[in-house]
Amino acid sequence: MPKVTIDGKEIEVAQGTSVIQAAELAGVRVPRFCYHDDLPVDGNCRMCMVEIEKFPKLQIACGTPVTDGMVVKTQVTSPKAKEAQKNTLEFLLVNHPIDCPVCDQAGECYLQDQYMDNGLHDSRTVLEEKIHKRKVVDIGPIMLDAERCVVCSRCIRYEREVTKTNLLEFVNRGGSTQISTYNGGPITHEYAGNLVDVCPVGALLSKDFRFKMRVWFLKETDSICPGCSTGCNITIDHRDGEAYRIRPRRNVEVNKSWICDPGRDLYKIIGTGRVTTAHRAGGAVVAQSDLIDEVVSKLQSAGPSSAFLATPRASNEDAYAFKKLAESVGGRLDFRVGNPQDKVAVRKDQILQREDRHPNTQGLLNLGLGVTGVDALLADCKAGKVQVLVLQDGGLLREAAVAEAAKNVAYVVAIATHQGPHLAAAHAVIPAAVWAETDGTFTNFDQRVQRFKRAFDPPGDAKPRWEIALDLLTRLGKPVNAATAADVFVEMAVETKAYADLTHRSLGPKGRAAAQASA
Amino acid sequence: MATSVITVNRDTRPGYYPIFYGMWLTLRNMLETLFVKGRSATIEYPEKKRNISTRYRGVHLLTAREDGTPKCVACYMCATVCPAECIYIEAGERPEKKIEKYPTRFEIDLLRCVYCGFCVDACPEEAILMSRENDLVGTSRAELVIDRENLMHRGKLAEVGTGYRPVDHDVRRPVRVAALERLKSEHGIVPGMPNRS
Repeated sequence: MPKVTIDGKEIEVAQGTSVIQAAELAGVRVPRFCYHDDLPVDGNCRMCMVEIEKFPKLQIACGTPVTDGMVVKTQVTSPKAKEAQKNTLEFLLVNHPIDCPVCDQAGECYLQDQYMDNGLHDSRTVLEEKIHKRKVVDIGPIMLDAERCVVCSRCIRYEREVTKTNLLEFVNRGGSTQISTYNGGPITHEYAGNLVDVCPVGALLSKDFRFKMRVWFLKETDSICPGCSTGCNITIDHRDGEAYRIRPRRNVEVNKSWICDPGRDLYKIIGTGRVTTAHRAGGAVVAQSDLIDEVVSKLQSAGPSSAFLATPRASNEDAYAFKKLAESVGGRLDFRVGNPQDKVAVRKDQILQREDRHPNTQGLLNLGLGVTGVDALLADCKAGKVQVLVLQDGGLLREAAVAEAAKNVAYVVAIATHQGPHLAAAHAVIPAAVWAETDGTFTNFDQRVQRFKRAFDPPGDAKPRWEIALDLLTRLGKPVNAATAADVFVEMAVETKAYADLTHRSLGPKGRAAAQASA
Repeated sequence: MATSVITVNRDTRPGYYPIFYGMWLTLRNMLETLFVKGRSATIEYPEKKRNISTRYRGVHLLTAREDGTPKCVACYMCATVCPAECIYIEAGERPEKKIEKYPTRFEIDLLRCVYCGFCVDACPEEAILMSRENDLVGTSRAELVIDRENLMHRGKLAEVGTGYRPVDHDVRRPVRVAALERLKSEHGIVPGMPNRS
């Protein structure tokens, strides 16, 4: 392993590491435009110039692999490197428009950051002499502004290497170089949003997020995408309890720096059409506590002739608390309509998405659910053998099989997040929080347990599903000793082999693999 | 805890003189206010108003372009810098590509505002200025949250005049001024906004 000295700090890095990566490990961020951790190195922007001993000229940090004994001086210690970076930046800004007030990238723009760090020069370009390019070009889910582009080719490399669609390319030459799609056509694949994240400046911007909010107002919360069993790491950007966008969070072992567009759109479900109060069929609002008491008495009288239907949208904590609830009553418990277990790891495309559109099927399987098969449970409901049916997700009533079975059940309880006509079949509706509003963990297709955090409070009286289940358990006289999702996880880890040596804290920001022998 | 007593020597002489002096002072002031011109400490508000500085920071106003649309480009600089968080903006897409962005909603809660003038300083477009209007009257709180239309069409403005407006930033930067002069003398170019087609 080569040893390299960066700004006087000696570190040992793996063979083949580039200087820019080594500097990052040493705690120095070399400014860059074209270099991206998950894209092939191109070395065209010339921003990451560093001084390396025994090299006659400055070298680009992204394209130079470290060798043993290399001594690197970055902009921190080398005035020469700093000057070179400053000059490069000035060249990049020659034709850059003064759009910052109307540009959505402002606040997370590499040009802005680096101008404030290194530049602070007065422009020597006369406004009239700037080269003008195409602005506000609608290319499907993205707005293209060629004038703001720094010609780094990140988007082109992304199209070439990740989606393999090659939709973007440079046209024209020299100062007039600009990016374009073929004939100005739209970006058609389901991974267009990543182009916006990949673009270091405001040339490619999301049409969905366009003009919604300035980014410096947004708070970031680490989360996991609930869109499918891949479990991509995401960041939820929110302000005052409202989510504005979802961005990928880098995790080399799961999603690298990418997420799909359907996943990106999931922030929209958080704030629309939510169930905020406990109510009965037909919408008569009741006090949540009264309704839960009613559910408890119904469950007590039903006993083993009650049935519980879990949802793979629920977190591990939700599922565990729900399982406890079913066990304490003695009712039957299962999940998943149909037989999709074998689809958990099946890819939908060659990039990220999987056929199983639920985030936690594997987690529920680990808890020992889904062994007997849900069909027998639903058949019993249909035959009238079930008195109380508790649905962990009101959305399950959208499934024809469940709706059909629920007709013959005397009392249907739905723990629901979203309103809809399907909820009319439930006799009691308890409002529940979505994933962004609670702490928890999902286990992805690959048995990787990943943690998501509470971004903001649930609306109205809604509570996390695990909290509702614990509340029911307490009122049934069988309390579980847990006050937070982390406590529930500890309880679960005691009983579940797969999570035996894990806690919320030990999962860290990137998650850990569950023990392979599932319970 | 021990207490200590301080003996204060009060002048206990009967003081009729100060009483009469005080009453005389009051009477004199009253008479002067009534009969001597320019001696009065008060004005007959609201018929008469005080002369206030041309840099007075009163109720805000939004400036308009020549076609009557707001000059504001909804960059949120004012909302960002506002220490009272009293500015609420929602941005929308302008039909012409040259400007792109404009505020579909622009509201200032005048009861929260502390009239610091930071919004005026922060504005890159000279879109928000302050007027000299300082008599703020309303019958409800909601009435004093003024919206974009009210901020743009201030009927009273002709009467009260504009107050605080931004200083010319170029003037504050001698380097920039020197560069501009050189450009003008050597190349005959006077920079302005670019023409985007």
